[in-house]
Amino acid sequence: MDESSFEYLRSRALGEDELLLINSAIYEQERIMFVITTDLNGHSRYAVNYFAATDTAVYAVDERGKSERVAYDMIKSAHVKRDYGNAILIIEGDEIGRRNFVRFSYKSASLFDAAAQFTETMAKGETGIYDALGVIEAALERQRAFCPKCGRALPRPGAECIYCQSKNKLVAKVAKYIMPHKFVLLFCLVLSGITTATAMLPPYMTKTLVDDVLPGGDLSGLNTVVFALIFAYILQYGIGLVRSYLLRVVGDNIVRDLRSDVYRRAQYLPMKFYDKTSTGSVINRVSGDTSTIQSFMLRVTQEVVVQAFTLVGIVVIMMAMNWRLTLLSLIPVPFVVVGARIFGKKIRPYYRKIWRRWSAVTSILTDSLPGIRVVKSFTNEKTATKSFDRYNDEWLKTDIKSARITIAFPQIVSFVITMGSLLIWAVGGRLVIEDPTFITAGDLVAFISYTSMFYAPVTFFANFNDSYQSALAAAERILDIIDAEPENNAGEGKKLDHMDGRIEFKHVSFSFDRSKKALSDVNFVIEPGDIVGIVGTTGSGKSTIVNLLMRFYDGYDGTILMDGVDIRELDMEYYRSQIGYVQQEPMMFHDTIFNNISYGTPDADVEAVIHAADVANAHGFIARMPDAYDTVLGERGTGLSGGERQRISIARAVLKNPSVLFFDEATAAVDSETESLISAAIERLISGRTTIMIAHRLSTLRRANKIIVVDHGEILEMGTPEELLAMDGKYKRLVEIQTMSDKLNRDRDELGIS
Amino acid sequence: MNENDMLEPGRERIYIDGDEAHFERVDITTVNMHMFDGREFLGLEPRRLFPMTGAERYITLLDENGDEVAVIRNLAYLPEREREVIASCLDEYYHIPKVERITSKTEKFGVTKFFCETDRGECVIELRNIIHQIKLTYGIRVLFLDNDDNRYEIPDIRRLDKKSRALLDDYL
Repeated sequence: MDESSFEYLRSRALGEDELLLINSAIYEQERIMFVITTDLNGHSRYAVNYFAATDTAVYAVDERGKSERVAYDMIKSAHVKRDYGNAILIIEGDEIGRRNFVRFSYKSASLFDAAAQFTETMAKGETGIYDALGVIEAALERQRAFCPKCGRALPRPGAECIYCQSKNKLVAKVAKYIMPHKFVLLFCLVLSGITTATAMLPPYMTKTLVDDVLPGGDLSGLNTVVFALIFAYILQYGIGLVRSYLLRVVGDNIVRDLRSDVYRRAQYLPMKFYDKTSTGSVINRVSGDTSTIQSFMLRVTQEVVVQAFTLVGIVVIMMAMNWRLTLLSLIPVPFVVVGARIFGKKIRPYYRKIWRRWSAVTSILTDSLPGIRVVKSFTNEKTATKSFDRYNDEWLKTDIKSARITIAFPQIVSFVITMGSLLIWAVGGRLVIEDPTFITAGDLVAFISYTSMFYAPVTFFANFNDSYQSALAAAERILDIIDAEPENNAGEGKKLDHMDGRIEFKHVSFSFDRSKKALSDVNFVIEPGDIVGIVGTTGSGKSTIVNLLMRFYDGYDGTILMDGVDIRELDMEYYRSQIGYVQQEPMMFHDTIFNNISYGTPDADVEAVIHAADVANAHGFIARMPDAYDTVLGERGTGLSGGERQRISIARAVLKNPSVLFFDEATAAVDSETESLISAAIERLISGRTTIMIAHRLSTLRRANKIIVVDHGEILEMGTPEELLAMDGKYKRLVEIQTMSDKLNRDRDELGIS
Repeated sequence: MNENDMLEPGRERIYIDGDEAHFERVDITTVNMHMFDGREFLGLEPRRLFPMTGAERYITLLDENGDEVAVIRNLAYLPEREREVIASCLDEYYHIPKVERITSKTEKFGVTKFFCETDRGECVIELRNIIHQIKLTYGIRVLFLDNDDNRYEIPDIRRLDKKSRALLDDYL
């Protein structure tokens, strides 16, 4: 950082009054390095307070200018304590004790993490102030990597937000699905033009029939008119049939494309999306919402145009026939239009509510049906049914409420239109009786026919709002997936010539949400070929380390390097293809055992799959099954034991031939005998590869040449097993506890106690 | 079953039902607990076991390692002075502003903002996903989780004024 041109850093632009307030608190000879504004005061009430760091001290300044100063040389440590919905920067020192320095909501928690780190660095005097400021600058930079409009994370600072951009280009997005079918849709429009024109003929012919043919007793004229009408109707319905078929085909294609797109996008959404979204609601979007949008698109591209043609055509004919009666027939139009607007406003929230209720119902289905064994084993069928009924009833209530509006509105509109027709009968009939030269009976009959035809497009446009609102609500939810930030650089980024497997964590901190840190300033290096065991109690952060290494979450502080390259810069597809990941509860798919093994390597040949199964100690039990590799597993792998599923998952990893391997409690859920089979398989697999193993049972880590002990998201101990045993710390205690427990189990076995 | 059945010796949970202990506040969120049987526990942090559904029931007291030392069954059963000490600690720890009024609402670029008056002052609740970030429980209570994981609540929507209710109703 250039010292001469340095201007202090701040979390946002400060007003003159604010600067005055801060400056009045700061000692004259001191220089402000950065200021962070907070949104809470010390009493946890909303107020703008300030945290200022100078070259010699930190200051807390409240909204009234009251300040507190602590010099760096009095500080021993600084950290952020996360409470519920708020956090406190705590500063500790021998003379000052423990001080709750400033309070803030989670909004600025990450900035204060950096401020704590800066304060501690300054207190220790390890580096110069301008170097220490790097951490603040990086935190501010990260904050700028958010869209100023919607607050979503950007791929890099200053990048265009895909969500805001796309919101403005909704039409373009919709058009994308229509464009491949544009010629068919245009052809359908031409057909519509013909049918619309033909539909306007019958009333005019009726007029001829009433005014000329019938009064004059013209039989040949009658035949001509009837045959002309037959021809007009054949043309109208024949063309209508072809058009409907073509539109159905186009519609199905659109919905197929839309569904595929949503599903494809859903595959690339980051884990944090699924942490907060139920699978039921995603399924709802793929199935229900896509159909709603599809029918809306067809209405827009076809019906709107056709109905507009009809409307204009009829008005022109009616005006030509009798302009006064035409004006009379337009009287109900304003009522219909205004009514439609009111209806639209009222109905939109209902569409949202209905979707929410329906989504809750689907969520229960997707949760409980796959877990039906658990439901049955706890004889929880009644509770499950009751819970389902409760949500189903909620849906029913909301749907009935919305039905009152959706059903009432078209009925009211039809009533108003009918009244309009009666008005024409009354006025027009009177004119026919009083002055037949002004308007004939045939004119009136034709006019009434045209009027009823005229209200079809008016009603269409009045109700159009309804489907528009429904489509808008569906589009909102679809866009939530289509426009959600995908996993960073999926399909782009760097690729290494060869992945050796050197892993380095540099100052890595991470939290799933802002309320609790899952990892805090984690640093370690794993050399190529190392077999590393990560141990710690449940919830200590072991799996989080692997989650970050797998790039399931990219929003962490610090850097993770693979062979010296930041893993966030690597192409996601390439990166994950180099990693073998064996989980505690491996996921199996409803497919054959062969396809389950070759899941990540679809081009693998048969012998490679058999070999992989053999290495994983799975071939034996597969061969004994009646359908062997062709055995189709039930959903989530039902039909196999836990140990068998685990060995298939190891076979998957063998087949992938990865450079780096992660085992997350791979033997935690199996018995001792199966464990030895799995352990043998693992040993064959890991030789020569960088391996990280998370294990509760320390016996599974006997091949490890390095152990990392994690506790409360921090690294407690690190070294070879021998070094850690000599340290007499947590690892040694864990070994002692496990040895005692193993001995107890052995004794029980010997005594035959189950 | 006894409350401590099946727990290992030394891990029995201490339940506090009434006047078994005296609490002394040592920091904004921590207390020292002096039990009348002579035992003393220092630097305990009271936390709600049911922060959403029972603000006064089952308050756990955690030591500095986050291990539970005791559980207060119900704050209402404590003597007034002790209750106040624990309640004020909880009030400091839990920042869940209660929305009293919604003054306006905007929807732009997919972000819904509610401008609110709460018991802790004025604030803006920013929500990116109204489907997941607003929850209605028991038909009357609304919980918000904003884009930064801050929490807010409306304890009873029936008590909101007409305008606030209308602004919120579309999302419930």
